[in-house]
Amino acid sequence: MALLSVDGLVVRFRTHEGTIHAVNGVSFDLDEGETLGIVGESGCGKSVTSLAIMRLLPKPAGRIEGGSVRFDGQDLLACSEAEMREMRGRDMAMIFQDPMTSLNPVLTIEEQMVETIQAHRKVGNEEARARAIELLTIVGIPEPENRLRAFPHQFSGGMRQRVMIAMALALAPKLLIADEPTTALDVTIQAQVLELLQRLTTETGTAAILITHDLGVVAGMTQRINVMYAGYIVEAAPTAELFAKPSHPYTVGLLHSIPRLDAVQGEELIPIEGAPPDQRRAPVGCPFAPRCAWRLPDCWTTNPPLVPVRAAEAVVTTGPGATHRVACHNSPTPGEAAAGRPLREGFVAAPPPSAVADELAVVVP
Amino acid sequence: MTKYIVRRLLGAIPVLFGLSIVLFAFIHLIPGDPATAILGQHATAQRIAEMREYLGLDDPLPVQYVDYLAGLLQGDFGRSFINNQPVLGEFLRRFPATVELTIAAMIFAVGVGIPLGRFAARYAQRWPDGAVTVLSLLGISIPVFVLGLTLQYIFAVQLKVLPASSRIDARLQLDLQTNFVLIDAWLHAGWTFDEKVDAFVDGVRHLVLPAIALGSIPLAIITRITRASVIEVANEDYVRTARAKGLTERRIDGRHIMRNAWLPVVTVIGLQVGGLLAGAVITETVFAWNGVGRWIVDAIGNRDYFVVQSTILIFALIFLMVNLIVDIAYAFLNPRIRYA
Amino acid sequence: MASGTVAVVRVAPRASRGLWGDAWRRLLRNRPALLGFVFIGVFVGTAVFAPLLAPHDPGALYPPPPDASSGATGPYPPRPEHLMGQDLQGRDEFTRVVYGARISLLVGLGSVIFGVIIGGFVGAIAGAAGGRADNVLMRVVDVLLAIPGILLAIGIVAWLDRGLPQITIAVAVTNAPIFARLLRGGLLAIRESDYVLAARSVGVPTRRLLLRHMLPNSLTPIIVAATLALATAIIDVAGLGFLGLGPPDPRTPEWGTMLTDSTKFLRAAPYLIFFPGLAIVISAVGFNLLGDGLRESLDPRLKK
Ligand SMILES: Nc1ncnc2c1ncn2[C@@H]1O[C@H](COP(=O)(O)OP(=O)(O)O)[C@@H](O)[C@H]1O
Ligand code: SF4
Ligand SMILES: [Mg+2]
Repeated sequence: MALLSVDGLVVRFRTHEGTIHAVNGVSFDLDEGETLGIVGESGCGKSVTSLAIMRLLPKPAGRIEGGSVRFDGQDLLACSEAEMREMRGRDMAMIFQDPMTSLNPVLTIEEQMVETIQAHRKVGNEEARARAIELLTIVGIPEPENRLRAFPHQFSGGMRQRVMIAMALALAPKLLIADEPTTALDVTIQAQVLELLQRLTTETGTAAILITHDLGVVAGMTQRINVMYAGYIVEAAPTAELFAKPSHPYTVGLLHSIPRLDAVQGEELIPIEGAPPDQRRAPVGCPFAPRCAWRLPDCWTTNPPLVPVRAAEAVVTTGPGATHRVACHNSPTPGEAAAGRPLREGFVAAPPPSAVADELAVVVP
Repeated sequence: MTKYIVRRLLGAIPVLFGLSIVLFAFIHLIPGDPATAILGQHATAQRIAEMREYLGLDDPLPVQYVDYLAGLLQGDFGRSFINNQPVLGEFLRRFPATVELTIAAMIFAVGVGIPLGRFAARYAQRWPDGAVTVLSLLGISIPVFVLGLTLQYIFAVQLKVLPASSRIDARLQLDLQTNFVLIDAWLHAGWTFDEKVDAFVDGVRHLVLPAIALGSIPLAIITRITRASVIEVANEDYVRTARAKGLTERRIDGRHIMRNAWLPVVTVIGLQVGGLLAGAVITETVFAWNGVGRWIVDAIGNRDYFVVQSTILIFALIFLMVNLIVDIAYAFLNPRIRYA
Repeated sequence: MASGTVAVVRVAPRASRGLWGDAWRRLLRNRPALLGFVFIGVFVGTAVFAPLLAPHDPGALYPPPPDASSGATGPYPPRPEHLMGQDLQGRDEFTRVVYGARISLLVGLGSVIFGVIIGGFVGAIAGAAGGRADNVLMRVVDVLLAIPGILLAIGIVAWLDRGLPQITIAVAVTNAPIFARLLRGGLLAIRESDYVLAARSVGVPTRRLLLRHMLPNSLTPIIVAATLALATAIIDVAGLGFLGLGPPDPRTPEWGTMLTDSTKFLRAAPYLIFFPGLAIVISAVGFNLLGDGLRESLDPRLKK
């Protein structure tokens, strides 16, 4: 029984401009102590997915409109707000992208840490404070006794993110979601913070979801990776397998758009052309089709399901032996993946069904 | 922090100089001969000569200005033409009445405005928010005197539940020592405790309508700013962090949202003091309230220029000072400035 | 079209008609702003068509109702010939309220226009020149802003003496610092903004830059502020009148002055308070509604 089990999650935003299809049926599992990376361009629904799991979607616009989330044997979508509140911070914690804005500017670090501890444990101020000092020491903040009295603006970005990590791990949660925890930091600091996260989650056996738009970040950090595009998981695999045999054109594109240590000399970076689709429309066909070099005529009309790369394989969703799955009608071969483009003789990407294709949309009630 | 306060204090000095020049000009650049303008066309030549002498009009202007400034620094704000009393003395005697009214109005505006703004923010975009918006629109659109007269008509004339004017029932024969009615009620010698309570309650009853009339504009503004500020802060990342930590909504509201949402409200409250002082001039007229405001209006009617000039100067000083204090309070409330 | 089974629509990118066109469309969709237009329409319409609307002469004295005891003086309550009653002298209140709109509009609009001109002039110089000129001008603005609200207007009228032009000037000077600050702030911000830097770097001439780029952008807050200032101006003008600083000729129908004259008759003749008071409130509400609506539609980021 997995610790976290997301099944067919659908999240939509009802806004003045219409409905935004942010997450369109995402399913994945996570075992205790496991580390999962979620990767995808900005806007593909990574944050919304994690906020939905925490039931922290901005109200009233953001709504979970389908699917289920089971955590630690409980159906989270059926939990009351009070039950969720008890679990947040204690059993499931979250770290956000921008450490500059994620800490309250008018409260001291002490106040913010102590209140977290006291929200879930009946401990006195002294005890909570001692625990806070201990946590700050663990995350590598020098002179924790003094720094406790400081305000967030007196810390650097990296130090603030360390405070966020300390706060998130204060109650030894079973699950930690880190939403682009290093995106806002300097490159040199990024590595330190990632290393800290990895060390702490490993030591405590905390299951972690690491969200990033940068495949390089998750490479050494996670056991498995879900690649997201336009609110869908388009490829899921153990990390090594994903890097070795990327099977979705989007993953291939991602791999070719980041500098890699193992890259062949002279290999150039190929950015993915085009932009993600307008999520105000429910997609018809494969969401990646407009940008895809492998696309077939079918791709315009049928959205491929997430299925095992090796057909007829029994699906394992968690652990190191998790099944490599992809949502694509025409997966790139290993050679094509390495080259970054289709190599078949005479192959051209199927043109859109009509000249105005990208102005077409299904009317969704 | 000390640096910040010093900088703010120094920043006020040029403004004070400017003010003194403007108000100096006010007396000395009255169209025509100031002495004649002050005394009227029918004054005797001797009176006019006396007045010119008194105003020092025969000195060169810069000398006159220096004299005027020197006088100000010694607390000499000139004398009333009508009774030749020093302006400052009469001002100080009347000022408590205005302060009492202004504070009451401020308590009303803040005490109602902040909860109302929070209420509107909680129900943003739903009907309670709409109702509060309409109310605050009316608040800034109804002139103090129209509201004052309306309140008088409804509560004093029709319902007869509150007194229409004056500061206290004259039959009580309260002796004004501090000229704060609500304090003097307790200081009155020879009254029993019950009598003191009665006088105090009577004072409060007299305050209600003028305070509402005067406080309605600040109320509307404070409500609006509180609403906007709370809505903005509620969308901040750190509020989401607070939720992710599993804090109760109560705590998130009172601590994470309000402690930040306060800040702009504090600044706006300071800015309202100016409006309150100006509004007091009209409110005191409507409610026969014997404060500085009424004095200014009477002085204008009597062409008692020094009174007008000096009270405006003192009001401006008070306004500047209050805002200085509010800015410093703001800096204290905001650690980003306190520990800059 | 392409598919037979799914309903297909063409999602055209929304046509944009430039800053003003978009703002105008948003304004027309803003219900409070439309209500503001209605109120302003009533106010301005009344002012413009006063002679057609008013049944009587605003300055003339009319006889008391037949049932009044002989020798009685006004006020007299509303009756068919005098819809809003008659004031102390027996003048027709309705006519005076209607003509009062003229005074209010004239003085209110005049003072705002005048205030925008002097404030805008000072602000433009300060914002464009910068440096020492900016410093000196802004200190002057600080001095004026230090004198609270209507107190400055009171001082100016006391100084210049009573009269409609004096009131106009007084209220204008009270408003001007706001416009000076707004225009200066806007100009400074825009001067440093990316697109002006960009325009400058591709060699757009300074004059054209100022007229085509900088002014329109610093103009939007001025338009909003001016609309809101109209509400304040109407209230301030009436306030001066109420304090006895209105037009010296007692025959001039000015709303604030009419109220002062009637305060002594609050019990006997509340209608003499009610109608002029309502007139002021309607006008002020109108401009406040429109101002808020304009703010929302000129600044799309402020979407509710
Ligand atoms: N509060 C919101 N209101 C409307 N749309 C939103 C909101 N938050 C996110 N979205 C939309 O949901 C989609 C997914 O966003 P998000 O999960 O934040 O992307 P990312 O993968 O970069 O974290 C985007 O199209 C975004 O525009
Ligand atoms: S080949 Fe077809 S299904 Fe696969 S990613 Fe490209 S467009 Fe989508
Ligand atoms: Mg995100």
